[in-house]
Amino acid sequence: MTVDPNAATQGSPSPQPANGRASAARYLVPALVAAAVAVGLGVYGKVHEPTGIAFDLAGFSSTGAVKSWLATTAFAFALVQLVSAFMMYGKLPGPSWAPVLHRWSGRIAFLVSVPVAVHCLYAFGYQTYEPRVLWHSLLGCFFFGAFSAKMLLLRSERLPGWLLPFVGGLVFVVLTAVWLTSALWFFRTFGVKT
Amino acid sequence: MKRPGPLLTLLAGLLLGVFMLSLDATTGTKGTSYRNESPGVSVSPSSPPSPSPTRTTPSPTPSKSAPPNADYAGRTDDNSSAVAVSLRDGKAIAYFCDGRDKESWLRGDVKDDGTMKLTGKHGAELNGTLQEGKTIRGTVDLGGQRYGFTADKAVRPSGLYRATATVRGAKLEGGWIVLPGGGQVGILDRDGKPSAAPRIDPETGAVTIDGEQLTARPVTP
Repeated sequence: MTVDPNAATQGSPSPQPANGRASAARYLVPALVAAAVAVGLGVYGKVHEPTGIAFDLAGFSSTGAVKSWLATTAFAFALVQLVSAFMMYGKLPGPSWAPVLHRWSGRIAFLVSVPVAVHCLYAFGYQTYEPRVLWHSLLGCFFFGAFSAKMLLLRSERLPGWLLPFVGGLVFVVLTAVWLTSALWFFRTFGVKT
Repeated sequence: MKRPGPLLTLLAGLLLGVFMLSLDATTGTKGTSYRNESPGVSVSPSSPPSPSPTRTTPSPTPSKSAPPNADYAGRTDDNSSAVAVSLRDGKAIAYFCDGRDKESWLRGDVKDDGTMKLTGKHGAELNGTLQEGKTIRGTVDLGGQRYGFTADKAVRPSGLYRATATVRGAKLEGGWIVLPGGGQVGILDRDGKPSAAPRIDPETGAVTIDGEQLTARPVTP
């Protein structure tokens, strides 16, 4: 936790020429893993017979409310992600612990989103019966693929400077779309309730 | 040098996902095995007349046998919802429905004295008493609220109906209560999302949902 792990990509336009084949794997592996995760989730959601029910958290009026609040929590941390990312890249003034904030808010956001996704896939599956649902299913699977790619790319060094911000931005945009098509819809349809 | 942090994050997510899935799987089986053994209720009262002093003395209640098979339907005291109960051989299935988004299927046993305690998903509970074989009077606890209700004996086509189908990938589940007098209250779940259900033809159970012709069937425990 002493060195900013993202410093490698920060600011410098990375003039080093990527060295041939070795670099190809750097992009190919995360891309393939991302595709496998996204397609795998989608196929599971499509093949698995939706049960309609799942494990329930106590203290909420309905499973929909639980999921909506968890998703909203994830989205709130995603906003922290956006701001802290700008701080790390020097686009916003920020404290020295911005990278730590970025890392841990991202972890929390991801971990909070997992139970929601598990419930979606287990109880509802991959559905296409109306545009909102289609987009939610599609982007929900895509989100976990894109997130996996982002995590794996972090382990590579000397990436083009624009790549991590691009993938991170993609993850953020997709999560936002997933939240808009589910939790926001839920709150607008059924009212904001716990 | 490779940083392990991102991989650990992914691993933690994976583990959490698998953990939730296993919880779901166990919950799922529990939720679907509601109609298994019911020790006691239908056990023959003519069991060997052993001089068992452990057994509480056979109470001289007027009705020693299980309540007769019948359907009951009625409204909650606040008139917001409908409740229907179907009794068969000492078992009961009940449906509570407000016709918009609140519903619950409840199951359980009926005791010989006509009392019943039925349970449904998310802690829903129905406590009722069959009075003189004509009326079930009781309460339903659902979503943190208690609803008193009275359900009178219902004769077909009044009663409790259900339909399930998969239409274009969407799982449909409909429940209807046809009240004495012909009124209907029903909810249609599309992939678990409740909404008001279209009317069924109480004579045939025919109903059109999303352009598809389905048949709602009477429900028995």
